[in-house]
Parts: sequence; structure tokens; C-alpha cells
Amino acid sequence: MLDAFAVGFMNQGLTPGAWVFLSLGLSTFIGGNVVIATLISVGFAVIGFPLVWGILGGSMPRSGGEYVYNSRILHPVVGIAQSFGDAMIWMIWIFALAPLIVNPGLTMLFQFLGYDASWLGNTWWERFLFSSIFNAIAFLFVLFGMKVFAKAQKVIMFFGLGGAVVIGIVLTVTSRAAFTDKWNAWIDVNATDMADGVDKASLHYDKFAGTVATVGEIAGGIPTTWNWRDTIGLLVAASWLYAYAYSISFIAGEVKRPDKSIIWANVFAILVPCTFMLWFGLALYHSVGFQFLSASTQTDAMNGSGVVVATFPWDTSFIGLAAIMVGTGAFAKVIMAIMALSYVAFAIWLVTLSYLAFPRIMFAWGMDRMGPKWFTDINPRYASPVKNILLAFIIGEALLLWAALKPDASVNIALTGLQITSVFFVTALAALLFPYMKGPKSIWDSSPYKKWTLLGVPVIVWGAIVNIIYLGVLMYGLFPTKWGGLGAGGDWTFEMIYMMIAAWVLGIAWFFFWKQKSKSVGVDVSVTYGELPPD
Amino acid sequence: MLKLFYVTDIHGSNVCYRKFLNALPIYGIDVAILNGDLLGKVLIPMVEKDGGWECHLMGQYTEMKTQEELANVKKIVENAGYYWCHQTRDEFEAMQQDPKAIDKMFKNRAYSRIQEWLELADERLEGKSHQVYLCPGNDDYYEIDDMISCMKLVKPCDNILIEFDDYKMVSCSWSNPTPWDTPRETSEEKLTEHLEEVCQKIGTRDKDFEKAIFNFHVPPHGYSLDLCPALTDDLKMKAEEKIHAGSIGAKQVIEKYQPLLSLHGHIHESRGAQKSGRTLMINPGSEYSEGILKGVIVMLDKKKVKDYVFTEG
Repeated sequence: MLDAFAVGFMNQGLTPGAWVFLSLGLSTFIGGNVVIATLISVGFAVIGFPLVWGILGGSMPRSGGEYVYNSRILHPVVGIAQSFGDAMIWMIWIFALAPLIVNPGLTMLFQFLGYDASWLGNTWWERFLFSSIFNAIAFLFVLFGMKVFAKAQKVIMFFGLGGAVVIGIVLTVTSRAAFTDKWNAWIDVNATDMADGVDKASLHYDKFAGTVATVGEIAGGIPTTWNWRDTIGLLVAASWLYAYAYSISFIAGEVKRPDKSIIWANVFAILVPCTFMLWFGLALYHSVGFQFLSASTQTDAMNGSGVVVATFPWDTSFIGLAAIMVGTGAFAKVIMAIMALSYVAFAIWLVTLSYLAFPRIMFAWGMDRMGPKWFTDINPRYASPVKNILLAFIIGEALLLWAALKPDASVNIALTGLQITSVFFVTALAALLFPYMKGPKSIWDSSPYKKWTLLGVPVIVWGAIVNIIYLGVLMYGLFPTKWGGLGAGGDWTFEMIYMMIAAWVLGIAWFFFWKQKSKSVGVDVSVTYGELPPD
Repeated sequence: MLKLFYVTDIHGSNVCYRKFLNALPIYGIDVAILNGDLLGKVLIPMVEKDGGWECHLMGQYTEMKTQEELANVKKIVENAGYYWCHQTRDEFEAMQQDPKAIDKMFKNRAYSRIQEWLELADERLEGKSHQVYLCPGNDDYYEIDDMISCMKLVKPCDNILIEFDDYKMVSCSWSNPTPWDTPRETSEEKLTEHLEEVCQKIGTRDKDFEKAIFNFHVPPHGYSLDLCPALTDDLKMKAEEKIHAGSIGAKQVIEKYQPLLSLHGHIHESRGAQKSGRTLMINPGSEYSEGILKGVIVMLDKKKVKDYVFTEG
């Protein structure tokens, strides 16, 4: 149960997830309310995801992710096509996340400690080298089997959670007046290279929002209170913290008491980050204030797209603000390092989980004869699919080289969109239809959740409906404004569509290639999926 | 080419057994082997209450008020491989105090189901060309051997030399020691001796094993077919730690005699195939409690395994 929870919770990436929520989300939706967005997200997520993924996982407790459910409930072609999208996503997450370990992760750590961080990733080969080091560490955590993985996961989770607790405490114990004093002093000492018309006094707490609005040419200025449109828009970035516990499905076959553990692990993997985010949100509004927080996300140089009012020693992310609150001195530096390491720890594990998921997807394909036989090879010494993990590492390295040569984190948005549609939506659809489809009838009849009903309808159906509504809201937030959406995805929505089409076309081609290959040796692959009638 | 269908560890699941019989014409099978464990593990008392019944099923308290509800729950129980019995509250409470009575009731229900299965097989296989063999596993009481031997169309194969086409198959239902003290487990030394005796039925020359098939319930130790979660002292799974639970004796005889094919079960979660020299070893795994019939179709052609495919339905 603890390991299943940890796999789900760690894939929500608490500190990096909160960073995306605040830095990316709030900088795009400046009038969003973090606390209300969290409550709405969790309201949807804690009902939809556990009931969909928990019940499917508990009914078909096999490792391999949603491919297992979708290929059995919907159709093998659909299962392979969407699974191709998911496999691609897990690999591209390495591309997207390993560089984030270096910047802002290590960069923030060095800056907090007063060291020069400019040598971390100035050139393509530096970016490739440092990302590759963390990629290799993540690879090794998984290579030697679940025992090593589970132990390392507990250690990383301990450090990650410990740092997050420290961030929460710092944000909570700092009063508005204390933060104002510390911010002003920090500006006086550290702000350099001011933009035209900006001086240190104009960056002080009281004038900061106005200065940012002027330099950033933000129409209407930085809002002093929240609005519903921006709060709904925030849900897309917030989904990083609440929509990714589905990674539990990749170890569903290795979980004790899957009928209970998978569903509860899903619930807690959503509630724990919710608790932290509510804490961070309330504490930030208490210590920093709504308008200043929104303004600080504009100057936070996430992806290099922030409003440049001056050069600061470190970014004004929520961790950066907490670091300012801590002050100076040797003890303060220890506290700041612990906070930065929380980000680094969670970010490393996000990459590690790609090495857990991708090889298991390949294994599940191989078992259905949807790939070469070596996809199913298990190393007897480590009890893990070592060949698949090695292949994942090679692909990951190739992608990191690409990321180093062409750094652009906007792909994160495309990935979020692809995941929402290709993975979450298709699986929610499978959950919606599960009780009513002929194919998996005997699986449903044997499901421990068959009797879970509400108003005469199986709860998995209610869960799927809630999940689909949530995914619809996320897509509304992600779609460009010209398509009637809220524009969280900007123009990168096209990237998402291209990626999804490519993944599905490749997946369908892959299915028919292996089907034909099997047929040529007299094997009908439908025997790996087809439901056998008992009578 | 000969198509062999191998299924293992259905543990009393009615739906899996019925699917097994139906799979034979659907998959176009020549020879089918249903390997143990055949018996289930759980007895669910359905206790009378206020004109209806109550029971605890899969960790949930369940009440049945109508015959229809009762029939639905019974079906779930049977499909999951469990057994049920009707009891009054007094009968239920009396049986709780008497382990022997529980054992007797369990065996009664288990043997009844095996008998039903065998009769169903004879009914469904009548006039068809499939050869069907049943072999118990370590969880199965010895009493079912006689039941299998009495049937018309389903043949026993435990500890017997079976020949189909030019292939020779020997089977062994025993396992090495398990934490659950099951009916057919023995020490590694005795198991190795027994396996050697079983192998001798095929012959003594290398040539005798060119078209030999081993059907040993327990998989060989140290390969990827015998990996299962380690257990704590109180028999709880340590999900993160995998151990090899197979038999060293099975490993020795497979590596020594090098049959064409070696088929195994016992470790439900270790579905897979692996080569040891010329021998292809397969464990199709089991997911009986979910009503899923897992198996493997092996295509044999002369002295070769032409191909194999894992099935699920």
C-alpha cells in the first residue's frame, strides 16, 4: 500500500508540481485563486481518478498500465494506439523533466548557497551532460528491480516531503510585515540591471505589482482580487499535482490486496498534494499577499519568459520567496538548501518513474504478441525487464540530446494535452463502458466492485462521468482562445495534436504489423485478447 | 503441426473451467492440458437471516434478500473459485468451533465441483477430436486423482507416460515446500528423486528426449518463471521483494534431460517463457480470481517448437 501510494504520489511531483501550478499557472492566469483552484481540482480528481483507475486496476490487477484495460474493454487497436501515445509521453517526460532537475533545481540550490550557477547548462553539451547524469541515476534506480526502487523511493520521498514541510513552515511563520521588510532589504542589496524606468524603490513591496504591470505592459495591471475565469484556467497547471497518480497502474500486478490498495493509494496520492497545496496557498496569501504573489510569478523567469524588471540572485518562484523569508546566515543556507533539494528530489523521481512505466508498457505489449518476444524477457536476477529498461535509457538519452540542442519547455503543455486526451479520456471512456460491454463481461462479473452502485448505477460509471467532466474542463483551459478555450496551451495545442495523431497512427501501424507478422507463422493474435464465452 | 493448449492454476473457478472447455474448438486445439491447482481455497457460508441470507465476500458484508440476489452472489462466488454452503445461524456458529467440520464441508464442496466439471467435460467433448488431460497441483487433495481416472473423455496424466503423435509427456503434480503446508509438497530431495523417476519413463538416451514434454506443476528454480513476492514471518507479501520459489530438482532435470518443452504453473504472477539450452520453458500464469483464463498455445512441428502464443480470454 505504501509503495503503491508512493508511486502515485511521487508522480504528482509535489514541489515541481506546485512550481508549475504557481509559476506557470499563475503567470498565465494572473487573477486565479490558488486555494479555490486546488479545491475544485481535488473535488474532481479525488472522485474521478480513484474510481476509474482504482476500479480498473483492482478488476484487472496487471502491470502495464491502461493498455491492459483499454485493449480488453474497448478494442485492441484502441488499446495499442492510445498506449503508443502514453509510451511516447513517458519517454518525452524524460526530455521535459530531466533538464528541469538542472534548471531550476540545481541552479536554485547553487544560487541559494551563494554559488555561481551560470556554468550549469550554458552550452548544449553542458545541458546534455548534466541532464544525462540525472537520467542515468534515474535509470539505475529502476534497473536493479523493485527492491532497490522501493527503498530508493522511500529515501527520496523522505527528503522531498521534508523539504516541502520546511517550505510550508517558512511560508506560515513569516508575517506580511516581516516578508515586506525582508523583500525590501533583499531588493536593496541584490537587485541589479534594472529595466528602463525602474529603480530599487519601485521594486519595493508596495510598488512591486505596479512596476511589474508597467514593465510587462499588463493590461489592467496586476489584479488585487481573484476571478473565476483565471481560477478555472489555473486548473490546467494544477493538474500536474492531482492527475498523475495513475502511474500506480503500472505496478498494479505487484500490489498487495489490489482490490483495496490501488483505489486507496489513488485517493491518498491526490489528498496529500492537495493538503500541501492548500497549506502553501493559504500561507502565501497570508505572508506574501494575493497581488504580490501574482506579480512575483510574472518576474519568475520560468522558461525564460518572465517580465524582466531587474536581475535577481534567484527566481521569484514560491521557493525563491520562501528563501527570501529565511534570511541570511549559515543556518538559513541549510534551510534554503533543504527547500531546493525538495524540488530536486521530486524532479529526479519524476524521471525515474518513466523508467518504471515505459518498460512495463512494452512488457504488456509483448505478452499480447505486440512486439518482439524479448519485450517479455524478465531478468531472473533483478526480477525486472532489464532489456526494456535499457531501451528506455537509450531513447531517453537521444531525447535529452534533442532537448539540449533545442531547449523549449513548451512541450510540457503539449504533453499535458496529449495525456488528457490520449490516456485519461480514453481510459475514462473504457471505465464508463466497462459494466456494459460484452467483451469483458466475465471480468466485470468477477470484479469486487460489481456491487458498488449509486442510484442503481455502478460507481465506476459515476467516476468516469466525473473524470470526463474534469478532463473537459482541462481541455477548455488548454484550448487556444481563438477556439473558445482559455489559452493555457497557447499555440502549442497544435503540437499536441500533431503528437497525438503521430502516436495513434504509429500505434495502429504497429498493431497491424505485428498482427500480420504473427499471422505469417500461423498465430491469430486475437487469442491474446478475445473473450472466451464460458457457455 | 500439433496445437497444444496449456492452462494452469484455475483454483476452482467455474468460469475459467467453462472457458477452458470452450477454448478448444475456438482455438482449434489438438491436445489440451489443464494443470493444477484445480481446487479452490475459500468456503463462503451463506447464513440465513430474516428470511434472506448474509455472507462476507471479498472483504465485504453482503446481504441477499431474494432468490435472485442469492443466485447472483453464488455465481460470483463460483466464478472466483470459492465454494458456498447454506447454513442457519446455529449451524454456522457450531461449525466455527469445529475445524474438522469446516474441513469436511470444504472438501465436500470442492469434490462436488470437480465431479461437476468432469461430467461437463465428458458432455462437451463427446464426438470431438480434442485430447484433454488433467493433472492436479500441490494444492489438490489426492482424492481427486481417482475422480479424474474414472472419466471417459478426460484423461489423467500425473506420473503417467502420455504419448500423442510422436511426443512423449510426463507430468508431476508435486511441489517443493511452500509456506502453506499443502497436500502435495515434499522436500527438494524427495521431489528430485521423484522427478528423476518420472523422467526415466521417457527413456534414458538423449534421443528419447528430443520430442519430450515435461509438465511439472512447479517451475524450475532461478529462472524468470518462478519469481514471486517474498513473505514476511506472518505470511504477508512483501510486494517490493521478489524471490525464486521454484524447485531446484525441476531445474536439475530440465537442464540434464533437455526436453523439447517444459510446462509449468504454481507461481501465478510469473507468466512468461524462457529458454534453457534447447528447452523452451513456459508458465502461462493465472488470473482465475478475475474470471480470466490465461493459457498458452504451443505449436509443435516435428522436433521443434514452431511458435507459441499466450492467450487470455
